Amino acid sequence: MLLKNVLVRLITTAITLFGVAVVVFVLVRVAPGNPIAMMLPPGATSEDIANLSALYGFDKSIFEQFVIWLGGVLRGDFGTSITLRQPVAELVLGRLPATLELSTMALFIALGLGGTVAVIGARKRDTATEVGLDLTSGAVLSIPDFLWGLIFVLLFGVLWPILSISGRIDPRIEFDFTTNFYIFEGLIRGRFDVVMSTLSHMLMPAMSLALPLAAMIAQLLKQNLKEVLNQDYTTLARVRGFSETSVILREALRNAALPTLALVGVQFTFLIGGTVIVERLFAFEGLGNMAIDAVINRDLPLIQGIVLLFAALFTVINLLVDLSYTLLNPRLRHG
Amino acid sequence: MTTQPHEKTLEIRQLNATLPNGMRLLRDVSLTLEPGEVRALVGESGAGKSMIGRAVLGILPSAVVHSSGDILLEGQSLNALRPKTRRSTVAKMSALIPQDPLTALNPVRKIGPQITDPLVRIHRWSRDRALKRALELLERVHIRNPERVINSYPHELSGGMRQRILIAAAFAPSPRLIVADEPTTALDVTVQKQILQLIRELQRETGTAVLFVTHDMGVVAKISQKVTVLFAGRVLEDAPTEAIFNDATHPYTRGLIAATPTPNATAEPFRPVPQDLIAQLQRDTQAEDMRFYQGGRK
Ligand SMILES: Nc1ncnc2c1ncn2[C@@H]1O[C@H](COP(=O)(O)OP(=O)(O)OP(=O)(O)O)[C@@H](O)[C@H]1O
Ligand SMILES: [Mg+2]
Repeated sequence: MLLKNVLVRLITTAITLFGVAVVVFVLVRVAPGNPIAMMLPPGATSEDIANLSALYGFDKSIFEQFVIWLGGVLRGDFGTSITLRQPVAELVLGRLPATLELSTMALFIALGLGGTVAVIGARKRDTATEVGLDLTSGAVLSIPDFLWGLIFVLLFGVLWPILSISGRIDPRIEFDFTTNFYIFEGLIRGRFDVVMSTLSHMLMPAMSLALPLAAMIAQLLKQNLKEVLNQDYTTLARVRGFSETSVILREALRNAALPTLALVGVQFTFLIGGTVIVERLFAFEGLGNMAIDAVINRDLPLIQGIVLLFAALFTVINLLVDLSYTLLNPRLRHG
Repeated sequence: MTTQPHEKTLEIRQLNATLPNGMRLLRDVSLTLEPGEVRALVGESGAGKSMIGRAVLGILPSAVVHSSGDILLEGQSLNALRPKTRRSTVAKMSALIPQDPLTALNPVRKIGPQITDPLVRIHRWSRDRALKRALELLERVHIRNPERVINSYPHELSGGMRQRILIAAAFAPSPRLIVADEPTTALDVTVQKQILQLIRELQRETGTAVLFVTHDMGVVAKISQKVTVLFAGRVLEDAPTEAIFNDATHPYTRGLIAATPTPNATAEPFRPVPQDLIAQLQRDTQAEDMRFYQGGRK
């Protein structure tokens, strides 16, 4: 039963990724803009362009190109970036940790902030406090992540410059890490200066990404909490002497989290999509920022690599959401 | 806490409850419960039986705006207590056996902690003592394999099992008072008898006073010493069970008894409470409401 589920899952994942690869491959090739023409100096002849195109295999049909590319992918070779002249896999995997750390931090902020507001709202249900929180989260939700980014840059970068508004880490800090997980490796190696600098650089972009999701969690989780708080088992907990706060935290939260979780999973993939613009805004050296450069330069192999990685990331996240759903819900665990 | 022999376990004095639209749910309800006594609360659906139980336990719906009167647990007036103290006082002295065992257990938590949590966190028992007590009571309510059951989730158990567990949980802290709100109506008929029997046995063994909400006069005859008959939030009659069955003073009560199908007298035709009697009672209630509101506006 379980094995069958895993198998079905793997097959659908493979099909999805293949579909994404095909679509992206075709789209970037039919879209206007010639990557080779952009690489060469203005005086280049059409012969020069044709020669270089042949070198990158762009003279072949799209189908042939795809077969060649797919053959490479199956051997672990995602091609070479046209502008950066490095293997795509190396470039993309080098940037992935930055984006992963950023979006994870944003997710934690969203869960912490949204969860707290939801619990307070449920605790103060049917009072002015609840209405106030609803209005606030509604307002927060109506402002998209990149606008939050601009607001933060203005507030804490310009008007009251207390946080750095660009980059991932203070360039004066010297360190030699094996991975690009600055926070993770910094913690393991005890390099807290690296960790602190990275965190302070991540704070604003992470907040920008987190706020809309936090507001959504606040609203949905509170609604679910209020429903659960009418259930007989929460009434029974009150009869047994538990305070309203401990009824919410001990009896209601896990039940209310279940329906919230499905939405958080979907929204988290949107959040990762949001890193593209937000990373650009804060000159944060992540995957999204690299994606924008790749598109501007029509760096086809790099675009393909990045999109495929994003698609793979989304699949993994969906898998994790399903897994945590099963862990939280005993009815699913026992079949 | 030592109980004075003369002290009543529960005393409800002139209890009133009203909705924002002025609808009166309870009208000057008074009743008492002696230690170890079982009192049945009967009346048709919507009469306010559950509302009385909820008032005692401090879980009135938030929509109930106005309530006056007092409730005393072993002589302690609950009105005199601050909300927090009131909550813990009520929790330490009383327990609830709910109506629907399918919704009264938390679906994502194991059975064990759902019984032991209040013992440890509210009654301040040690974990070991709480666990021992839980196992002992599960065994007492005829649950085979209690060690396995405490590690189960509610959905793995039948409705009858869950109600036994809720009964065990209610009796676990040795409360002075148990409110049982139609504890068998949600169950299969065959299981109903066993559950009723179980509550009666445990009540006799422990000497716990029970406020037993039901609309089944057959159940009343089996379990209670006293009966309170309610109509539209008003006490129509309050008498020992025997007296109620032998010569009820109020025609509505006689109607209720007559309306109860008795298994050993199947030849007797089923007679519901006469409609004109109910209509008369409703008119009385409305007239009383008029007097109440006019009196209040003076
Ligand atoms: N949450 C609530 N908000 C407002 N009114 C309520 C609420 N719950 C019950 N009532 C009303 O209070 C009155 C008494 O209800 P109660 O639940 O005490 O009846 P009951 O005698 O227990 O009936 P039943 O046999 O159906 O359980 C009814 O008129 C009902 O409509
Ligand atoms: Mg009821």
